[in-house]
Amino acid sequence: MKTGLTISTVGHAALLAWAALLASGLFAARPLDAPPTESMPIDIVSATEFSQLRAGKLDAPKPQQPKQVEKIADPKPQPSSAQKVVDKREIVSAFAPTPPPPPEPKVVEPKRTAEAKVEPKSKAPEKEAEHKPDPIAEALKRDEAKKPDTKPEPKNEAKNQLTKQETKPEPKQVEMTKPQPKFDASRIAALLDKRETQRHATTGDTINLTAALGTRTGDSPQLSASEIDAFRHKVGTCWNPPAGATNADRVRVLMTIRLKPDRTLAAPPEVEISARDAATQAMIDAAVRAIIQCQPYAMFSLQRYDAWKEIPLDFNPTEMFGG
Amino acid sequence: MNDHNTLPLSMLSRRRLLAGAAGLSAAGVVLAGLGGGPRKSAAAPRVTITEGNVQPIPIALPDFVGGQPADNELARSVTQVITADLRRCGLFAPIDPAAFIDKITNTDTVPNYPNWRAINAQALVVGRLRRQGDGRLQTEFRLWDVVAGQYLAGQQFVTTADSWRRIAHIIADLIYERLTGDTGYFDTRIAFVDETGPPERRVKRLAIMDQDGAGARYLTHGQDLVLTPRFSPSSQELVYMSYGQGDPKVYLLKVETLDREIVGNFPGMSFSPRFSPDNRRVVMSLQQGGNSNIFVMDLQSKATTRLTDTAAIDTAPCYSPNGDRICFESDRGGSQQIYVMAASGGPAERITFGEGSYSTPVWSPRGDFIAFTRIGQGQFAIGVIKPDKSGERIITEGYHNEGPTWAPNGRVLMFFRDPGGNGGPSLFSVDIAGRNEQRVPTPSFASDPAWSPLLSSS
Repeated sequence: MKTGLTISTVGHAALLAWAALLASGLFAARPLDAPPTESMPIDIVSATEFSQLRAGKLDAPKPQQPKQVEKIADPKPQPSSAQKVVDKREIVSAFAPTPPPPPEPKVVEPKRTAEAKVEPKSKAPEKEAEHKPDPIAEALKRDEAKKPDTKPEPKNEAKNQLTKQETKPEPKQVEMTKPQPKFDASRIAALLDKRETQRHATTGDTINLTAALGTRTGDSPQLSASEIDAFRHKVGTCWNPPAGATNADRVRVLMTIRLKPDRTLAAPPEVEISARDAATQAMIDAAVRAIIQCQPYAMFSLQRYDAWKEIPLDFNPTEMFGG
Repeated sequence: MNDHNTLPLSMLSRRRLLAGAAGLSAAGVVLAGLGGGPRKSAAAPRVTITEGNVQPIPIALPDFVGGQPADNELARSVTQVITADLRRCGLFAPIDPAAFIDKITNTDTVPNYPNWRAINAQALVVGRLRRQGDGRLQTEFRLWDVVAGQYLAGQQFVTTADSWRRIAHIIADLIYERLTGDTGYFDTRIAFVDETGPPERRVKRLAIMDQDGAGARYLTHGQDLVLTPRFSPSSQELVYMSYGQGDPKVYLLKVETLDREIVGNFPGMSFSPRFSPDNRRVVMSLQQGGNSNIFVMDLQSKATTRLTDTAAIDTAPCYSPNGDRICFESDRGGSQQIYVMAASGGPAERITFGEGSYSTPVWSPRGDFIAFTRIGQGQFAIGVIKPDKSGERIITEGYHNEGPTWAPNGRVLMFFRDPGGNGGPSLFSVDIAGRNEQRVPTPSFASDPAWSPLLSSS
């Protein structure tokens, strides 16, 4: 009795210990090692936001109706696009040591355009009347007075003109002016690089186009459906399987081809079936001929070379011969 | 008697379970240590090509090189026969020799592949023919895959000079087989009924020729009416029906010696003979009153066995390639239809159910189809049907098409077509898909063709 109780106690204790080990996960079944799905960056647009994007506005400007022309005038000669290009090229670079445009004699004429703000005008006395003492302007004025050479910009010139009540700029000042790389919002165009575009790849040839966000087991880039379709179509045009051979519809030729970056075969196709009879041999030969004859495979993008450098193929004539 | 390996469930005690649990736990530790290896990366998906572009294979056949200048003419003729064979079968497109860049002068060197690829050739055949000291011809050829740049086949033949056409046909067969995977049919003969004279006094003679129409010769003189010649599997004999003074009888004719013998001497008419695949028996129809039944006669023992016994017209029997079944036509169901029965006779199964009447069934050498003539709505059509009643389709249709016979590879049919009027019948060949219908050249009008087995294999 006592022995039985002891055995039972020890046994139950062992069972409980086993259960505890299971619960702790030590011997728990390993979870399925599913490869993590690669993330794809997307923008989430809610229905509300989408509606707002698409909604009209009551206070939006009315679309202007094109005026009905009663009489069509003679067509005016349009400047050719080639001429426009020439005009554009005549724009002088900001870095070129060119003098600023000389002030026009019309500086005294009243203007209503926005440019009038920076042009010396007859309104200058009014502006001066409204002018409030500005310590920065005063400091600038002092600087300009100290350095009369640094006045290449018409804006500064105008300011000086405004403050000095001058109506004519001094041509000598312009000649002595050295070009300084000062930022001028009105001459951004002049800052642009007018050199010819350098048409080179900005990165390496094997840029990774997949949107992998760093998964541990992310797959290599794969062929797109359109690339596969184009490849399939091209190989199909070259594939001339022997029709009518005995059981030809049941002979499937499996092979792997390896391609070089120039999209031609790196090696003869590696056929994965054995020629057990004349019909199979003829089918293999026809498939190999198709692959050799169809190269190069220009439909593949060089950036995805990893995806097409080795392609397993299955030539299956079942559908063709009516299975 | 408790065996550890065959422990009954009832003997499992709690103690044993506990021991087992401990053992399992230990095994679990081991398994946990073994598991969790690196995940094998998935292979790239296989691209399946299902649609091809079936078209004749462009093949270059430059003239064979003659061993001596005097052999050049014969070498050119051999090349022309091979070229004609390959072109007529519809699976090859021989390239015009004027387009050739290279001139073949030596057949022992590897060809300059780029020059043959430049003219879009996929295959190239080069060969040499020379006359030996004993007067026999030595002919050899090599077949190259121009696209893959590899040697495919080659062979050498020595034969008498007058057999040069057969050598050409054999070479064409080998090229055909290597490039299509199917056996060829160029080294074969056609037996047919040659018809001359006006329709009311038509002279019908038994004739034989090569499958390309060359070498026609007559086997009978034309006094008797001859019908339905059929080759033996050895191609050395013909059985046919001849109608002279008495009843129509079945005769057996040796092709080379022209020896003739009657096959059984039965009362009444005997007709529609055909050899069994083992060349030992002839199956035919015997007239019995207003009906006819099918009998088989052993050629050695002359013993005759009845296969059908119906009050109907059972005729045109034909063995399956393995000889275990016979197809025939019968009007036992009201109209002429095709039936299949065991070679030993017994119950027959009807396999055609279409409109019109079906006749002249011929089992394909492949065994996959039975060709027939269907008569309906004033049209005679040649068609095929599978022995399991499926896949019936019409190959060609017209005013009067009849008498299909199979090429030994089972992919081409020959038949005769009679346009009616003052004209006469001609032989035509067509592939099993209904394409590449071509008239077969014959000396005059021709009907009832019978295609021999491959001569080189028989």
